[in-house]
Amino acid sequence: MTRIRVLFSVAAAAMTVGLWFALTAPPDSLQGEYSRIINVHVPSLWLAFLAFGVTALGSIMWLWKKKQRWDRLASASAEIGVLFTGIGLFTGMVWGHAVWGRAWDWGDPRLTSTAVMFFVYLGYIALRNAVDDPVVKARRSAILGVVAVVQVPLVYFSVNLFRTLHQTQSIRPDGSTMPAEMLIAMLVNVVAFTILYVALMAARTDVARLEEANRETELLAGDAVKPPKLSEVGDV
Amino acid sequence: MSFWNQTLEIARVDLRVERRLGDTLRIVLPFAVVALMVFPLSLGIELATISRIGPAVFWALGILFGMQVALRQSAADTQERRDLHALLGVDPAARFVGRVLSGGVLMLAFLVVLFIAMVLIYGPTLPSGYWPTVLLGTVLFSIGLTELGTLAGEITAGLRNRTALASLIVAPLALPLVIGASQSLEALSRGTGILPWVLLMLATDLALAVIGVGMARPLEEATR
Repeated sequence: MTRIRVLFSVAAAAMTVGLWFALTAPPDSLQGEYSRIINVHVPSLWLAFLAFGVTALGSIMWLWKKKQRWDRLASASAEIGVLFTGIGLFTGMVWGHAVWGRAWDWGDPRLTSTAVMFFVYLGYIALRNAVDDPVVKARRSAILGVVAVVQVPLVYFSVNLFRTLHQTQSIRPDGSTMPAEMLIAMLVNVVAFTILYVALMAARTDVARLEEANRETELLAGDAVKPPKLSEVGDV
Repeated sequence: MSFWNQTLEIARVDLRVERRLGDTLRIVLPFAVVALMVFPLSLGIELATISRIGPAVFWALGILFGMQVALRQSAADTQERRDLHALLGVDPAARFVGRVLSGGVLMLAFLVVLFIAMVLIYGPTLPSGYWPTVLLGTVLFSIGLTELGTLAGEITAGLRNRTALASLIVAPLALPLVIGASQSLEALSRGTGILPWVLLMLATDLALAVIGVGMARPLEEATR
């Protein structure tokens, strides 16, 4: 638990620094103060891509090694990825409402494909919830974890593939299209969010480990730890 | 028995079971045609609008009802049948490919009939070169959706909420296929190239085929 507390403390400190950078960076000349949303929007979606990549890695490793820790890694990462995809979608809609005049624009394939990615991983979580046996759950979700990651590149490159309202990548191999102060603020927030991801992963995998231990205890103890049925107790 | 003989045998048996049960042609197809008629009824007599939205409605219904074809009851193996296949030494990859082959044939037949119904009901304006593009798009769409349906059907086999869960998995993942198929027709109408959209569908089909064949053994074990 100490390790998780330390990680969350570091994450909180990093997020505070990130917030300071986000609030002190100069606003965009066209978008004004709304441009500060980039400091939450981009790091959230960066984390979503990272998280789903880790889910795919954990899934492949489970299929290869059959070790339960890889399943814990994959499932924890998927849950966190869904959370940050939701945050990224919401901040994108708020930003879109301010800049484009509407929250949801069908002319933006990035928005649509991100929403689709969100639902794919909701399906992943729903599948996990539908299976009780831990090995069957791990095997089925590992297969889906590998299948699901196929559409992640489509989401990332959708701004290049389609005509879109959404801007293309700001950071490219040949340099950045953003002013230096805004870029630094965004990168600081990317690092802060990544530390938060690590802390959340550590906490979620620990919870998963405890859940497994609890399940094993229940299996070992059997009916001995279950409360009696009302019919067995009789009238009280 | 060689890999391809096993594949063809699996596909043949699947199609024979489907012929007896008739899930696709006797139940899903009429339901899809009824759904095709719901849109003009809800829009009112706006002939220009109805004509314009026809192809889009076709792809939307194609994915929704295509999922039902891919997840049809006749494609759901019992545990005894799986065990029998395993004991007979049927290659799991051949089982997957056979399933995709039979499902693809059914899906293609379903989509072709649905497309003809759409043309008759909606009367869309079809530019030259439309039919070969539709056929190519439909073939690639059928293969991809069947691959996805087969994968999702196996992953959710035996679960109490199988149909809803498998649909939740298939529908979002089929997005590249829907985009590719619908945009290739749009591109044709605009007079621009269809190659990028065909390549998108082809790449999706190939990626799913590689994953399906690669995952065939874990998929077989998934229900145990």
